[in-house]
Amino acid sequence: MTDLATCPHSVDWSEFRPFEHDGMTEFFARKREEEPVFFDQGTGYWIVTRRDDVRAIFADPDRFSAANVHDPLTAYPPELVAYLKEEGFRRDKTQANCDRPKHTRIRQVAQSFLNIRQFKTREPQIREMVEAAVNKLRGRGRVDLVDDFAYELPARVLFLLLGVPDIDARKIKVWADSRFDMISGDADFEAKMEAGRQVMDFWNYCGAIIADRQKNPGDDYPSHLLAAHARDPDAISLGEIQNLTFGVLLAGHETTTNAIGNTMHMLLRDREEWDRLVNEPTLAPAYVEEGLRAGPPVVIWRRVTTEEVKVGDVTLPEGAPIMMSLASANRDEAHFACPHDFEGTRANARDHVSFGYGIHFCMGAPLAKLELKLVLELLSQAFPNMTLVPDTDPHWQRTILVRGPGRLLVDLNE
Amino acid sequence: MITLTFIEPSGASRYIQAAIGESIMHAATAAGVAGIAAECGGACMCATCHCLVVEAPDAGLPEMSETERDVLEFTSDEMQETSRLTCQIPVADTMDGTVFKVVGR
Repeated sequence: MTDLATCPHSVDWSEFRPFEHDGMTEFFARKREEEPVFFDQGTGYWIVTRRDDVRAIFADPDRFSAANVHDPLTAYPPELVAYLKEEGFRRDKTQANCDRPKHTRIRQVAQSFLNIRQFKTREPQIREMVEAAVNKLRGRGRVDLVDDFAYELPARVLFLLLGVPDIDARKIKVWADSRFDMISGDADFEAKMEAGRQVMDFWNYCGAIIADRQKNPGDDYPSHLLAAHARDPDAISLGEIQNLTFGVLLAGHETTTNAIGNTMHMLLRDREEWDRLVNEPTLAPAYVEEGLRAGPPVVIWRRVTTEEVKVGDVTLPEGAPIMMSLASANRDEAHFACPHDFEGTRANARDHVSFGYGIHFCMGAPLAKLELKLVLELLSQAFPNMTLVPDTDPHWQRTILVRGPGRLLVDLNE
Repeated sequence: MITLTFIEPSGASRYIQAAIGESIMHAATAAGVAGIAAECGGACMCATCHCLVVEAPDAGLPEMSETERDVLEFTSDEMQETSRLTCQIPVADTMDGTVFKVVGR
């Protein structure tokens, strides 16, 4: 950690409030202008705010290692470390937090299943699932679009890929929330211990899936990984397979839930844009991109320098931990005109960095976009007169990493 | 360094220098070739570096991987026999003089 006393780019903790949502946009707009790369004493990280700098870091995986991506923001209590060790939790660096050449080997195996072919061939089933979720809302008057719609849907879609149709989606959600709380939340001791217990359940569940697929292979992700292992054990190990399954069950739905919440929140706040989508549902893909740009479900992503390196005008030492603000990069005035406006017709909305950039680019991105497109199309056609319930607190999540409304009350006005 | 030609969506030809080992997409975007968005930055996910091979030396280009074929087939309406994702082709000295047509979108 860099010493504040020797750091010329420090900022008072009261200014940067990484767990808070309100004020984030305004804060980063000011920092992009005044001090685009700064050190934050509260977290011990260098914060990077401009899109060009963020892209340059993503594009240079040798000098900016991904090794710290899943590190806990604050050290686990010793009791939690002991508990996880005793229970056999082995979260090895496998994918998002793994560098080359290991990353290349694992990504090749994972991406040979998690790619656009698999997602597209399942589109009819995914459409049915979204339709079913929309139909469940009908006739209910006032609903919470998060809890009643966006919370479970992406997990159910993911189960298609994992071949686990009968698991309780809410159980998976609790597990994923617990994992994010462990890594990037500001929970107290008891909450962290409880999160640890939930994560162990999650870990063991993934182990059980692997064990089952070894006996009963199917057309699903774990079976595909096991087949690759059988062909060449050096291509992917069984431990890595459990880690990959754990990873996809974690990353594959929480983010999409938040993307739905963020995009619907922005759309319904801007009646003109919502009405445009209602009248032209073919614009759904454009609104998906603009939603991802203006309301990224992952607001911060991390790297650590492997050598002294310049970011913008600031020289960072070797071993400097970095937080790239994706939320800030996506609203960089240098690239996006009127960046705080939500505009479905924005020509360069796709230039956001919400899925990263380069060798670690999110493998689930095409699936997330497909789900979001269907959600926007079907919701806007089913409930064209839907309105946000005014003056309700969206209960923004309190993690440094992922961001979305905890609730989104709407009147369907059928 | 080798020389590559890109026919941009406007029809204009661009001649660029590319270093051995870097991806063709990287060389093209660094030179500002129009129509290559490369949204994913070379991860073989987005197909926004899609080009057609107009002319290539006999040694040709490396074989297409299954993943590259999948991404092309499922993301592009304009896939042709000569289609390639330029992010998946590392520049080699055998490619000097290759001509690509940018598909763009």
